[in-house]
Amino acid sequence: NKKNCSGTSHFSKWVTCPFKGRHGLALLHMSVFSQSFSPCGRFLAAANNYGEIALFSLSSALSPDATELSQKPILTFTAHEGPVFCLLSTDSQLLSAGNGEISAWSWAELIKKVMGRGKILSSCLMTLLLVSLCCLSQDNSLIVGGGDNNIHVMDLEQGNFKSVLHGHTDYIHCLSIREREGEILSGGEDGAVRIWDCRTGQSVHCIEVYKYESCARPQYGKWISCLTTDSDWMLCGGGPSLSLWHLRSLSPTSIFSLPGCQRQATFYQDMILTVGEGPCVSHCLLGGDVKAQIPCTPQSLNTLALNTNSTEHRVLTVGGSSDHIDVFTNLSYRAFSLSF
Amino acid sequence: MSSDTLKKRKTKVLRSEGGTPEMKRGRGEGDQQDVRVYSEEVELDGRDPDQDYEQFKQTCESLAKLMGEIYELKANGAKDGCTEVEQRRMQSCIHFMNLKKLNRLAHMRLKRGRDQTHEAKQRVDVLHLQLQNLLYEVMHLQKEISKCLEFKSKHEEIDLVSEAEFYQEAPQDISRPQLTKDDPHQLTLARLDWELEQRKRLAEKYRESQATKEKIQKSIEVKKEHLSSLQPGLNAIMQASLPVQEYLSMPFEQTQKQTEIARHLPPSLYVLFVQANAYGQACDRNLSVSIIGDVDEAKALSKPPEDSQDDESDSDAEEEQEKTKRRRPTTGGQLDDKRREMLKRHPLSLCLDLKCKGINNAITLLFADGSVLHLYFYYLMNLNIMTVKTKVSTSTDLNTAISAGELLNSDTLLSCLYTNDQGRETPNPANRYQFDKVGIVSFADYVEELGHPYLWVQSLGGLQFPSDAPEVCVDMTSLSASHMESTIKLLRGRVQSRLALHKQFASLEHSIIPVSAECQHLFPAKVISRLARWTTITHQEYMDLHFVRHVTEAGLAKETDLYFMGVVERGTARLQAAVVLSPRYPEISPLFSLSLSWKGERSGRSDDNLRAMESEVNVFKNELQGPRPGHQLLTNQIARLCVCLDVYLETDGQDDSVEGPREFPREKMCLRTVRGPNRLKPFKYNHPQGFFSHR
Repeated sequence: NKKNCSGTSHFSKWVTCPFKGRHGLALLHMSVFSQSFSPCGRFLAAANNYGEIALFSLSSALSPDATELSQKPILTFTAHEGPVFCLLSTDSQLLSAGNGEISAWSWAELIKKVMGRGKILSSCLMTLLLVSLCCLSQDNSLIVGGGDNNIHVMDLEQGNFKSVLHGHTDYIHCLSIREREGEILSGGEDGAVRIWDCRTGQSVHCIEVYKYESCARPQYGKWISCLTTDSDWMLCGGGPSLSLWHLRSLSPTSIFSLPGCQRQATFYQDMILTVGEGPCVSHCLLGGDVKAQIPCTPQSLNTLALNTNSTEHRVLTVGGSSDHIDVFTNLSYRAFSLSF
Repeated sequence: MSSDTLKKRKTKVLRSEGGTPEMKRGRGEGDQQDVRVYSEEVELDGRDPDQDYEQFKQTCESLAKLMGEIYELKANGAKDGCTEVEQRRMQSCIHFMNLKKLNRLAHMRLKRGRDQTHEAKQRVDVLHLQLQNLLYEVMHLQKEISKCLEFKSKHEEIDLVSEAEFYQEAPQDISRPQLTKDDPHQLTLARLDWELEQRKRLAEKYRESQATKEKIQKSIEVKKEHLSSLQPGLNAIMQASLPVQEYLSMPFEQTQKQTEIARHLPPSLYVLFVQANAYGQACDRNLSVSIIGDVDEAKALSKPPEDSQDDESDSDAEEEQEKTKRRRPTTGGQLDDKRREMLKRHPLSLCLDLKCKGINNAITLLFADGSVLHLYFYYLMNLNIMTVKTKVSTSTDLNTAISAGELLNSDTLLSCLYTNDQGRETPNPANRYQFDKVGIVSFADYVEELGHPYLWVQSLGGLQFPSDAPEVCVDMTSLSASHMESTIKLLRGRVQSRLALHKQFASLEHSIIPVSAECQHLFPAKVISRLARWTTITHQEYMDLHFVRHVTEAGLAKETDLYFMGVVERGTARLQAAVVLSPRYPEISPLFSLSLSWKGERSGRSDDNLRAMESEVNVFKNELQGPRPGHQLLTNQIARLCVCLDVYLETDGQDDSVEGPREFPREKMCLRTVRGPNRLKPFKYNHPQGFFSHR
């Protein structure tokens, strides 16, 4: 087990006495890139551009006698040297993807650290230049989209790589899994959405979204930065407009006319929630109408997460270019903000 | 008419009178012997006015009767000149003559009556005058008498010995008891005699003492002369010894003088003097201390004994002030006087000269010559606080940079030397009550004139005031000593950083970013973006900028900070950088906020890449600090800003298929132009390889 925060750079200085309100500068320039809820649904882990992961207790922040202090992290630790673009929770572990490495942290330990010392549990070093996203499939394997433009599939039990999917010409922004069909979807900087077959490791389809006139926005670019699937439907956007695709016909069914580039989108009941440039969470109807835009604290948003792990702490959290993470207990307004 | 008649009468009388003497004479000539002279006046004496009146009435009656008879006769036809009428006319003529005489007599009688009255009146007047004179005399005499009665003799003021004592002490020939026992007048006289005698004796004694005194004085004079004749000789010896002192580098004399003067310093300045001297001798040869001010005034001030106890004199002064306040309603002038009195400073002050050696950094920041920081410490006697004024003197002319005006200003030079020590409010809590009395709202209004009462100044002087947080009281001298070294270091660092900034600003204003050789590796060789403008702005102007709201909301833009606006340009792109410069620079790094006008207006709030550029200069500044103590931080930050703008503009082509040449061709080597969900550009420069990568 190698300690991750052994990096010698100035980060350590910022992090040693980080968030006691003393380093206003670091807070001022902080961005939240990723979040993940604990399996029990009572905790939220959020990672920022300084490679730090903060653990918030939702149960105390949501309790009626919540104070200022309960909106602060119960634990902050440096996980990686560079920004942490992805966090993912498995049944027992929190996986974090930093610059060239993936670390695993035991949720049980993390939660226990509330009462005890901050000690890093386990980590496994990867040889990739950069990890942009990871995703978990049913057979306990980790799918990693890398900076080397390839998708790596890793066996979590063995800790080794099973296969590599070649095809993208630029680095991969987003991944999605269709468990039932055994398909992996990936979108990247090259503007293509590729559909892969898990078993053969071959690219089944390649949709170049920016070539569809209805979606293309040349003034922005061609990259795909958000991708999500729900049965036969796929949602993707980025440089091109956010659009809903029917996967069997591989054609866009509705286009959402949202300003700026979208960075994360998700299906929620009969709605689509999406965040991106601009200080608001957009609610879109499947038909293509924008139903509402709910204002948030950060000026632009990177990540959105719905807590489905616990019914009593069912919240939506969004983070972006700020040290605040906005919490929505009701989708139509911001309840409060957690802050680093 | 009446006057006419009067004249006629007079003439008549005169004629008659004049006539009479002539007649008298004429007759007198004729028969002198015959004394039968007729005189109407004599006749007058013999007649009775009542008879005359009776005669007058009869004459008038008979005249009227005669007239009536004439009339009757005439009426009966009697002719003019008939005898009866003629007879009657004769008779009436006689009557007329009679009337005339009576008239004359009446006149004479009247005159005589008048004369008599006049005479009597004159007599009365004389008598009245006499009476007046007498009365006046009486009054005068009475006054004299009262004056005499009121007379006070001088002897009453003389304090005499008591009677018993007098009889006891005075010799018999003066006291003469047999004579004075019964006569108080004699007694007083005798007592006065005795007094005179005694005084004479005392005067004699006084004269004798005077003489002895003079004699002694004369002898003192002689001795003094003797001593002063020694002085030149001693001086000559001292003078002769000077070269020896110098040769041995032991400036005894000067230090002696200083210590002599130092005795008159107020306690806190004395503590500072001793500590600074000690520190200067032990650790810092470039620190020199001198005392300036009027020594005589200070001596005069330390004379009254109550000054030795500060507290008492203070409370006395307060009481006095209270009294005066109660006596008269305060007017503006009095209040002004009182304020001046309260803010009065001790005539002596300390001057600390801190030589700052040239900073050995290269290129444009050369300081071959030392510059000197002069610190003037004052002691406000009535407020019991110390203040400091500063001045920086350099051998080169520093007036080249306009935006650097504030940097060496006495007002801001030492601001926040220690955290939050702005030196605008008095650190002594007691002063607040004193100010209330004379209507001073805040000490800050007087800072310009009196200097800044920084907390560290109080500590150097061994003055300790309770602050909000309770502190352990430390012994006076050790308190000062513990602060001396760190403070001197801070002062020197402050001046050096300010001077460095001063030089840097001069070249920044000419759009040149000075980058020293040590820092050359931080930036690529070719940077196209140029600094176009560097100006100073006010706090208010800064607060009004639209793209700094996040800074102001975070409370990072304080009023004590300095504010600047830099403009970096490349082609059509124009990057505005608002800079907050803390007075504690470089310990606290400058804070940049960006706004880019290129294809529309973007700021660090709306554009993640600009935000990343901000963090590149604000957060990752440690690598920019250059050689210690980091005086090149600001210029390096600006240089990095130029590099970042280059990267920003060159990597901005989203679509490679855009027709025509790009405004900013890509020249920088980048591993990856974008990364992460917010697609940040690679702003980090990797030195030896010369490519840009992400953080």
